[in-house]
Amino acid sequence: MIAVLGLVVGVVAGLLVRPEVPAVVEPYLPIAVVAALDAVFGGLRAMLDGIFDDKVFVVSFLSNVVVAALIVFLGDKLGVGAQLSTGVVVVLGIRIFSNAAAIRRHVFRA
Amino acid sequence: MSDQDGTPENRLRKELPEETPATAPEAVPTGENDEKDEKSGLTGRQRLVQGLWPPRVTRAQLIVAVLLFGLGFGLAVQVASNSDGDSALRGARQEDLVRILDELDDRTQRLEDEKAGLEKQRDELENSSDQAEEARKQTLEKERQLGILAGTVAAQGPGITMTIDDTKGTVEADMLLDAIQELRAAGAEAIQVNGVRVVAGTYLTDSGNSVSVDGNKINAPYRFKVIGKPQDLEPALNIPGGVVQTLEKEQATVTVERSTKIVVDALRAAKQPDYARSSSR
Repeated sequence: MIAVLGLVVGVVAGLLVRPEVPAVVEPYLPIAVVAALDAVFGGLRAMLDGIFDDKVFVVSFLSNVVVAALIVFLGDKLGVGAQLSTGVVVVLGIRIFSNAAAIRRHVFRA
Repeated sequence: MSDQDGTPENRLRKELPEETPATAPEAVPTGENDEKDEKSGLTGRQRLVQGLWPPRVTRAQLIVAVLLFGLGFGLAVQVASNSDGDSALRGARQEDLVRILDELDDRTQRLEDEKAGLEKQRDELENSSDQAEEARKQTLEKERQLGILAGTVAAQGPGITMTIDDTKGTVEADMLLDAIQELRAAGAEAIQVNGVRVVAGTYLTDSGNSVSVDGNKINAPYRFKVIGKPQDLEPALNIPGGVVQTLEKEQATVTVERSTKIVVDALRAAKQPDYARSSSR
């Protein structure tokens, strides 16, 4: 419950504060958000499976974000930033879908 | 169904390294063991409900809340910045921006070229229309000058008036012709006799007691209106043995008056030559 509240408060804060995104971070923010979403779905699924662990969640969340940003950064340096970020989004999307399927089975039994 | 679903779940779980190892530490951790053991008998749905309500302030919940706060914040910021006004370019990557810039530069270049071409064309057209206007003016001017010679337009200027009063009917066509030729030789530019314009093709014939000019019969007194330099015309007529003396010998009275303004307004229709064509073009 507290976690859900945290998410809601974060969204509200982001909408209210509307900070200017620094130019350095700008290309990585969307990918980082997608990576974090992946981690969240993974965590939710683990919770439904009864195997949730906060430490694992924190590590996976942060490492997902960092690795995704790193890949995009590397891609930019190699001149294939657009393609690599597309690739990252595709992979993360697939994972999110599979996690969502598992969650769906738990919640709806279907 | 549930059996079939069970297997792919397990396989998927193995593909997700972050989550799977959780099983091992999950069993170990500290105070929640009892709860977890209880929970392990529950279904996923029941676990979800338990996690949501009642709210419990645990370390895990707080940490997850902090991370989710970060996620929500980033999500909202990104969405907000993406939906800002001039946004098509905002999310674009550097190389895309460079490409767009290049395309715009190319387009600008093309349009500049086109503009230069059109401006050049416009200048040319303006020049040519100026030239056409100039040519038209010159043509008009020339038409007027030629019209004076051809007798198709009226003329005015300084000149003289010569009146030949022929009471005895002794003046003949050749005398008038002499007079006209003398005037021409003295630089007369436009001549009319009793309302008939004298031009290059003018001819004079005797017709009874009077004279015909181009077929128009005219009677004495013969009034010549001549445009030219009066100081040249008058002496030319008055020279000894000249026109005036010859006429006076025939008992005619001749008066010559200078004037600063003579109007020669007798006109002659412009005539298109039947055979002669200009060879100058």
